[in-house]
Amino acid sequence: MATITRPETEDVELLRRPNIPSADVRLPAVKDYEQVDDEITATLHPTGQWFIGLGVAIAFLIVGALAWTYQIYSGLGVAGYNPPVMWGVYIVTFVFWVGIGHAGTLISAILYLFRAGFRTTIYRCAEAMTVFAIMTAGLFPILHLGRPWKFFWLIPYPNWRYIWPQMKSPLIWDVFAILTYLTISATFLYIGLVPDFAILRDREKNPIRKRIFAQLALGWRNTDREWRHFVRAYLFLAAFSTPLVLSVHSVVSFDFAMSDVPGWHTTVFPPYFVAGAIYSGIGMVLTIIIPLRKWFNLKHYVTINDLDAAAKLALFTSLIVGVSYANEWFVAWYSGSPAEKQFFANRLWGQWWWASSLLYTCNICLPLSLFSQWCRRNTTWLFILSIFINIGMWFERFVIVVPSLSHEFEPWQWAGYRPTWVDYAILCGSFGWFSMWFLLFIKQFPVIALTEIKEIVKPRLKFSHPRGIDTTAHPLPFMPDTPGEFD
Amino acid sequence: MSTEETESKGIKRRDFLKAVGGGVAVAATIGCESDKIEKLIPYLNSPDNTVPGVSTYYATTCRGCAASCGLIAETRDGRTIKLEGNPDHPVNRGALCATGQAELQALYNPDRYRSPMIRKGGKLVAAKWDDALQLFSQKIGEVRSRSVAANAVFINQHESGSFPAFLDQWLGEFGMPAHFSYDAGVDYEAVAAHTAAYGVAWPRFDFTAASLIISFGADFLDGWGPAVPQQLDWADARAKLTGAPRLVFVGPRRSLTGLNADTWIDCKPGTEVSVARALSGQMPVAQAAQACGVDAKRLQDVVDEYHAAKASLVLAGGHVARAAELFAAVSALNHANGAIGTTIRPDQALLGYEGITAPAQLRGLVDRMNAGSVPLIMVRGANPAYTMPRSTGFAAAMAKVPFKVSFSSIMDDTSEMCDLILPDHHSLEQWGDAEPIRGTLSLQQPAMDPVFESLATSDALIRVAKGDPATAAKYAFPDYRSWLIARMPGGEEGMRQALPKAIAAGTALARTAPKPALPSIAAAPEIASTTGDMYLFVYHHPVLGAGRGANKPWLQELPDPVTKLTWQTVVEMHPLTALKMGLDNSDLVTVSTGAGKLIAPVYLYLGIRQDTVAIATGRGQMHAGRYAKAGENAYDLVPLAENAAGGLALVSTKASVTKAGGSILLATTEGSARQHLRDIARAIPVGELEGGAEHHEEPEEEHFQGDASHEFLPGLRSPVATDAQGDFGDPTSKDKGMYAPDHWSNMAKRRWAMTIDLARCTGCAACVTACYAENNIPTVGADWQAAQILPDRTGFGANITRSREMAWIRLERYYEGGEDGSADFETRFIPMMCQHCGNAPCEPVCPVYATYHAPDGLNVQVYNRCVGTRYCSNNCPYKVRYFNWFGYGEPHRAQYAFPEPLNWQLNPDVTVRGKGVMEKCSMCVQRIRGAEHRAKLENRPLRPDEFTTACAEACPSRAITFGDAADDSWSVTRLIKDKRAYHVFEELNTFTAVVYLKKVNHPSPASEPAHA
Amino acid sequence: MRGVIGVFRELDTTCDAIAVLKKKKLGEFTVYSPTPRHEIEHAIDKGPSAVRMFTLIGGLAGVTFGYWIAIWISDYWPIVVGGKAIASWIPYTVFGFEVMILIGGLATVAGLFATARFPRITHTVGYDSRFSYGDYGVWIEPAPDKMQEAEQLLRDAGATEVRVER
Repeated sequence: MATITRPETEDVELLRRPNIPSADVRLPAVKDYEQVDDEITATLHPTGQWFIGLGVAIAFLIVGALAWTYQIYSGLGVAGYNPPVMWGVYIVTFVFWVGIGHAGTLISAILYLFRAGFRTTIYRCAEAMTVFAIMTAGLFPILHLGRPWKFFWLIPYPNWRYIWPQMKSPLIWDVFAILTYLTISATFLYIGLVPDFAILRDREKNPIRKRIFAQLALGWRNTDREWRHFVRAYLFLAAFSTPLVLSVHSVVSFDFAMSDVPGWHTTVFPPYFVAGAIYSGIGMVLTIIIPLRKWFNLKHYVTINDLDAAAKLALFTSLIVGVSYANEWFVAWYSGSPAEKQFFANRLWGQWWWASSLLYTCNICLPLSLFSQWCRRNTTWLFILSIFINIGMWFERFVIVVPSLSHEFEPWQWAGYRPTWVDYAILCGSFGWFSMWFLLFIKQFPVIALTEIKEIVKPRLKFSHPRGIDTTAHPLPFMPDTPGEFD
Repeated sequence: MSTEETESKGIKRRDFLKAVGGGVAVAATIGCESDKIEKLIPYLNSPDNTVPGVSTYYATTCRGCAASCGLIAETRDGRTIKLEGNPDHPVNRGALCATGQAELQALYNPDRYRSPMIRKGGKLVAAKWDDALQLFSQKIGEVRSRSVAANAVFINQHESGSFPAFLDQWLGEFGMPAHFSYDAGVDYEAVAAHTAAYGVAWPRFDFTAASLIISFGADFLDGWGPAVPQQLDWADARAKLTGAPRLVFVGPRRSLTGLNADTWIDCKPGTEVSVARALSGQMPVAQAAQACGVDAKRLQDVVDEYHAAKASLVLAGGHVARAAELFAAVSALNHANGAIGTTIRPDQALLGYEGITAPAQLRGLVDRMNAGSVPLIMVRGANPAYTMPRSTGFAAAMAKVPFKVSFSSIMDDTSEMCDLILPDHHSLEQWGDAEPIRGTLSLQQPAMDPVFESLATSDALIRVAKGDPATAAKYAFPDYRSWLIARMPGGEEGMRQALPKAIAAGTALARTAPKPALPSIAAAPEIASTTGDMYLFVYHHPVLGAGRGANKPWLQELPDPVTKLTWQTVVEMHPLTALKMGLDNSDLVTVSTGAGKLIAPVYLYLGIRQDTVAIATGRGQMHAGRYAKAGENAYDLVPLAENAAGGLALVSTKASVTKAGGSILLATTEGSARQHLRDIARAIPVGELEGGAEHHEEPEEEHFQGDASHEFLPGLRSPVATDAQGDFGDPTSKDKGMYAPDHWSNMAKRRWAMTIDLARCTGCAACVTACYAENNIPTVGADWQAAQILPDRTGFGANITRSREMAWIRLERYYEGGEDGSADFETRFIPMMCQHCGNAPCEPVCPVYATYHAPDGLNVQVYNRCVGTRYCSNNCPYKVRYFNWFGYGEPHRAQYAFPEPLNWQLNPDVTVRGKGVMEKCSMCVQRIRGAEHRAKLENRPLRPDEFTTACAEACPSRAITFGDAADDSWSVTRLIKDKRAYHVFEELNTFTAVVYLKKVNHPSPASEPAHA
Repeated sequence: MRGVIGVFRELDTTCDAIAVLKKKKLGEFTVYSPTPRHEIEHAIDKGPSAVRMFTLIGGLAGVTFGYWIAIWISDYWPIVVGGKAIASWIPYTVFGFEVMILIGGLATVAGLFATARFPRITHTVGYDSRFSYGDYGVWIEPAPDKMQEAEQLLRDAGATEVRVER
């Protein structure tokens, strides 16, 4: 055995630099790279429950699709619209799904820039969720049209009549924002997946799947050149996605803020909507990731510490949202406009008291429990709470859209709103559509980013400390994981 | 009835091409009746100046009620598509009420008899005219041979003119007694009283000459007598503003007139007479107040005011029991205060009400029919089986008559009992005359070819007479038209000259038959003595009347001017009473009297006494066609009670009102009846008007950036630069932006605008029906039009319960005061339609340019471009945009609004909107363009006030004025500068083109105005 | 191309090998690693990636196009809506921004493809599926006469397996 030439000291210094992406997370139960590949690729094989779940999702989707067909045939009247409430469940659900879509990019992009390590384990899920949520949201603006077969008139395509969209309309801004968001987040998701495809290509035994993965991997080889540019490009994409997240929901909020409807016409909407969106997104991430880490035996990847961190984020955003609500009330009172005052009175203790109180309970009161660390680290409670957050955020949008329209300037035209089974069926359909895509995703593609996990796993070394490379975990921001929680 | 059937039996294309020939023939020579035309007339050689797509206008007479107003029937390609008032007619002077306009839907009613019907084996089957007439004459023959002809009965829908006398003559020829001229919609007691007191059935009431008007339940603006002329006079009187008369309304329930009144004395039903006596001083005020349960102070004020009044006018009406004393007292008052000749003008009497038969006469028939002594009964138009309450037993008795003939052209409860149906032409299909004013004939000519195989009753009678050798000689003339011409002063020539205006000097053939003696009156008991916990106030529906309007979807969907209910029968109850009973809007209650019971939802109405419930008649007809089934039949509750003169008393009993449990959503168009500080319908006390003090309400300037120099016209405010493409964000800029005269958009050249004078508007809603007729607005409230899946599907009105009515113009009714439930509240009516804003909030939010601002100031809606995001409606502060939730214009759908042949009425100039698009008031853009094109063809500019919109044209109070605000010669420009002018929601900087003139309140001289 | 591939089990030995290689200047070399490790990056010590230029240019092009298309569309057929200016550039910032993100993002991806030389159709010599699993690899393309030296170097550095490929 020949002796190994020892590197010079500056090399040692150079080698001693900390491994940045692993700044604040450690996975004590993950020993080496091989284990990562083996355990995560093992989740990719369809199971019976998975097929059942997929079946349920598709059944929901079919119900929604039939309802929509019926609506297209008979006209929007079959939905529960009740003029002047001209927007209802569909727009509510649209905003809801767009909001869901925001957590993904937040986690994968913004937290990436902030080097918040706990994102590493959950971002792939969140990102996939984003893409599918936007795919769902995108249906609703079309679905709520009076003449959905004419939806393409909203897209500025060159046409022989030279009729273009009306660029001052917030709805056209929506078209641009949503399409951009869909494209960029899908790209972001795919680029992040490429090295993982390479891994799957190399691990896969089944020749057909192997070939498919090979195509998807685009011939990725893990060379230093690839890694160098990849890391840069990923950073820039993240840097671009960050303002995009903020802009998209601001634009969505313009649909309301740009109108003159009491309760809509307010400048607080953009930040208020963005916070709400992130809030609802985190809620959905928790709803998805908590069962997932259990079913896929990934508890030692998505650790309690990560959930704890996510819960803190949820708490923070819920506080922002709470402040926004308070601000709305204050402005309504301070405006001195009879329409505003009357509308808010009606929202709070008028015909819509039930909706608003439900929303305040779910979005402000219950999340306060997250101040307690026990709650943050109790996955059962987190899951239940995340469900409440989802419900609450749906009703937040409901309370924004419907009551405002039901009590506008013209008292003679005040009305109520009663959705019909068509509204509900299409709402369920949207969940079916979303779940279908997501279920298909988690069994074909790794729900945890393999290469990025490897970044925070202790690399194999010949010589231990003080040979140079820093292999210890870094100062722990959280309590150490409770013993026995991996089983 | 399904469309297949109508296609098979219905109208064929050649028919209305024939009709063109018919119309033309009528216009050219008043010759050749339509069924002589065999050949189809090709347009290659148009026989006359008829051009396809160009309207022909026929002047004729409205038969919607007894008043016989003048009509102009617009006929296009052989179909009558719109009815408008005849400006030259002495009665209605160009205006027309909703009922009159809806006559079109009687003409094109899908439930008309399409041919004669003969009852075979218990059901009516179609027959040939020859067979039907054959059967008819055979039956008459039998009756005569059994020499019981004298017992035969003919009941005719009351009408003025020569036909009644003609009919009597004919009956006489066959040995039958004179006919009964029955009209359930007319307040017979009032007619009798007028005849007794003033010598005429219906004098003209000159409101302009009065300084104080006191109405004892007489709804003279809506249904009590000739509504249109009375509204015209009333509006003129109120338009005097400072000199305008005050109106005091006495009665248990505020009708439309009551809501227009300045003071309401809410006396108990049947105690009006005490108030009258208090006025005449026969009864101490305190005692009277105690008797009729009103505040003595308020009554005292009225009495004082009455004695102080320069010229007063006292009216009474409204089918109250024991009305004789009331009418006596009232006419005494009028005689005493010298109203006769000043405010009451018998010399200008309306003859339309002469010769009406007392309902008691028909009730008198019941015993004879039960006894089986009536061998033959013939009914034309009238519908006694429905309008004679079940307590009179008329329908049951009539069923016993061996042979029953109906000349009704539309199916109704009476005709469905008959054995032979000889459908009459609609009045727009046949000849006739009326004498609305002494010495003036109002002619009635066919405006189009008959829709179905009907035959004018007059001609049917003539054919029967010709068939009988005994009478053939007397009926040598070919048909009724020639008989009419023969009577016409100047004969054929005179007729030809008279027809263009349908007015001629002359008198109709008078009825000579003596009035049969009244049967013994079934006198009404003292109401207070009847059993029950609440007074029951049954009244005739303002638009459906006694039921004649029930099968016309326009009228069913037209919100009741007072309650704003559609398609439903409701029990009106005072909010405080409902509170006591633990009831709320739409809760079902059972109302039962000795006569019967009825279950209907409660409607909380401020304008009714706390111890009274009110129900309208007109709905709930079982056999009168598909639309008339809506609602309940209030007649079932009316016990048999008659007044001295033989009039039927609808208000004669108490009823027990109990919770029925459950509730139905109300098919109402009413949201909140309070303005919530929005200042939408504004009013100004007359005092401040005199003072010229434009104080109070809202400091307007502060809503506007810049100064008056930004107004592109005085009065009509225009966007300032910051809004109108001038200097961005500079409120002090003088740049008028797109309203600068040299701006490329030409916005300053023309601005179509409208003023609505709330001091004139009475809230009668004739404009709404006019808009439906002009703009092909679908009615959406029919049972089958609600999609089957709506969970709240409550039968008729289900779409309305989701406020999906399509009325481009709606009448909002706002209350001021009376929050405590007191009777002392003010009502403000305001018509609301698209305001055609200068800065329309709806426009910039539309993603596809489906709505935009036209250079002539219109806010345009492009149906073909609309994708249906409905964002525009969300953003419209006035909520005047309406969405096509279903394919109301698609014949194969349940929601189809124009079942054959109703679709014949559709205005060819206006698109029938498709499913999923937004629509709204276009300010009758088709009329604007039409006028512009005419002007262009004649190579001239538009003349001021040359044309107007449908709503303005119909308005019986002349409240609406339309015109070009950019041109000073239009009268709208003058009105815009009125100091009462204001814009709704100015603070939103929408710069509307519709300018409202504040209502003028006339507070009682004694008390402060209802709300200061 | 003929070359030597050395498979390393450990990160530190890989880094050592790289350090030595850079001193010996045996020729072009490529390092395979299952995950991006800064140790390796620093050991190789190449300059910053050129992707950023693509991003910048894409973004600028996007914002320009965004504003332009919105304004052009409005002016193409001037219709007055709500009394607002035909081309209201202030709200059109939305288009400028969104299109900037869109084109900038796609340009970044294009830049990645261009600079990192993929997608590629074939695997070139040297790659081993272990490199995506847990092992590191160093591929040297020395001059033919230096072949022995390269193999020796890799072995000394601690490569568990060294082989010559072509």
